[in-house]
Amino acid sequence: MLAIVVDDSRAMRLILRRIVGQLGFDVIEAGDGKEALDALAGLDDLPQLALVDWNMPNMNGLEFVSAVRADARLREMTLVMVTTESEQSQIVRALAAGAHEYVIKPFTAGAMVEKLALLGLVPSGVTI
Amino acid sequence: MSVDTVPTVEDLTEICDQVWASYLDPEGLNPLLPVGPMAGIGEMFAAVSITGSWHGHVVVTCSANAARQAAAAFLVMEPEEVSGDDVADVLGELANIVGGNVKSMLPSGCFVSLPHVVTNPGASTRFPSAVQICELAGTWLDEPVSISMWQSNGDRAEVRAA
Repeated sequence: MLAIVVDDSRAMRLILRRIVGQLGFDVIEAGDGKEALDALAGLDDLPQLALVDWNMPNMNGLEFVSAVRADARLREMTLVMVTTESEQSQIVRALAAGAHEYVIKPFTAGAMVEKLALLGLVPSGVTI
Repeated sequence: MSVDTVPTVEDLTEICDQVWASYLDPEGLNPLLPVGPMAGIGEMFAAVSITGSWHGHVVVTCSANAARQAAAAFLVMEPEEVSGDDVADVLGELANIVGGNVKSMLPSGCFVSLPHVVTNPGASTRFPSAVQICELAGTWLDEPVSISMWQSNGDRAEVRAA
């Protein structure tokens, strides 16, 4: 399984890489939405999962989600927003744009695993 | 639009408790221990600005050693292994997380900037058109840390006039 982590913070990318890596995912990283789209364009085998920050330079997470959903080649990817944007209206915007789930920073590894289990990407009950 | 309700030090404490539990102290061994206001502790600064229905800044300030310890905790590295870029990145992300959560307590219609970071010991961060409205000051690993909120004078003038 392959995941892409899209966040402008290297530290946050590392935290997310560590979590999904322990769940058996290989991970590629991108520092913003544009960089992620460029990386995805060069891949034959697409990630099953994208963990996407909202507030990023160049192309933010919401724009990235919309771009993925508009692209027939990419739209099967499961998209999880991982962000400090915790207002209900923002969550609704992200889900309406095509995000499947929403994780609010700060989060624990356990909370992230639970969300991925809800999405069927890891067996329920798995802990790391 | 003016706003007369803003997050308090208790709100900052709750947010920081979550940040510490998630990233800086997941084992619960080294919490941020609140102390009184600590003037002049800043060697490292990270801030995000909030605009829209409320105008101001959320600022994380700490000693150089605390910043290095924070980067090490985030990155699961030894403090001596982290680079200056790592320190800047982690401080910025801390400001981003705290600022984003503060924003959720404000009326809708606010926007949070990308973080800016100053990691030059001896430098200072000034917000000449804003005043500090609350501060969570404490020690972490015996190093000083402060998280504060600054509100623009324009917003405060509107509140007073309302």
